[in-house]
Amino acid sequence: MGHGLRTLLSLMPNDFETLETLGGEDEVSLLEILDHVLNSGVVIHGSLVISLAGVDLVYLGLNVVLTSVETALSNLQIEEKRRQK
Amino acid sequence: MSRILVYCGFRQSPGLALPTVGVNSAPVQVASFDSLGLLGSEVEWPFDPQRMQKSAVEFHEVVHKVFKQTAVIPFRLLSVFDDPQAFTAFAAENCQRFLQDLNRLKDVVQMECVIYPKPSETPVDRSSGKAYLEQKAVALRSSEASAQATQDALAHLSREVRVREGKNGTRIFVLVDRGRENDFRQAVNAVPIPSQLSRRVSGPWPAAEFLSEQVKMPQTDGVAGAK
Repeated sequence: MGHGLRTLLSLMPNDFETLETLGGEDEVSLLEILDHVLNSGVVIHGSLVISLAGVDLVYLGLNVVLTSVETALSNLQIEEKRRQK
Repeated sequence: MSRILVYCGFRQSPGLALPTVGVNSAPVQVASFDSLGLLGSEVEWPFDPQRMQKSAVEFHEVVHKVFKQTAVIPFRLLSVFDDPQAFTAFAAENCQRFLQDLNRLKDVVQMECVIYPKPSETPVDRSSGKAYLEQKAVALRSSEASAQATQDALAHLSREVRVREGKNGTRIFVLVDRGRENDFRQAVNAVPIPSQLSRRVSGPWPAAEFLSEQVKMPQTDGVAGAK
């Protein structure tokens, strides 16, 4: 597990606050941002290759975090429902 | 060690206000080829793990500053090239494919609706394997019916729809005309949802789910240093 992954995971549970995007009219949660920047968009071909280089290990770690983001999003939704009750 | 971090691609036009500062306060550069622009920054690599989350938000802000004005093709965070030459070569090699997608997606945004079960709502029936599977099947049918009802309600707004089933529910991605985001939210909210399910709507996002395969996983054959 890369250092980046550990850091993200340790930060996630306490960071369910809502952020305002630039311009302020749309609200998105931090976890949705993380989900999109890590999980959506162009993947440069070579970036999925795992090697012994530190860079690639960090990338691998953040790939692994994608599953955790999905889970964390689900937890966020549950948490929001609890708050509404 | 430094690398070129890529944020997004867009069709260049004179009126666009481009971000000047990106991740970790790094200046944002534009690699141009034909009318394609690719935004990138020279960053220290690998990222400082202590500010990884902040870097993700800064990355998002760069992409969204452009996306608020025009269609973009977002790159995933941590897409890096060894040097500016590799970055520029990538732009040249993939220019036409990127421009075709940007043209196709120029007037639309991606909206999302996730329909998921409320885990705490119904206790899991563990009385037998059959009972457990039957309960799961009922939940699945309910989720599928809600997803279909949502898609039907959005038919008049949808340019294109993609549905992805995950362990946490059904995720519906919809391309809608830019400016009709509130119509999307209203249409979704008008669909009744069973008590055991919940949903979450988000957007607008860049239409990443609707990129062509060649753009999602672009050619880097002639590009040394793509990571």
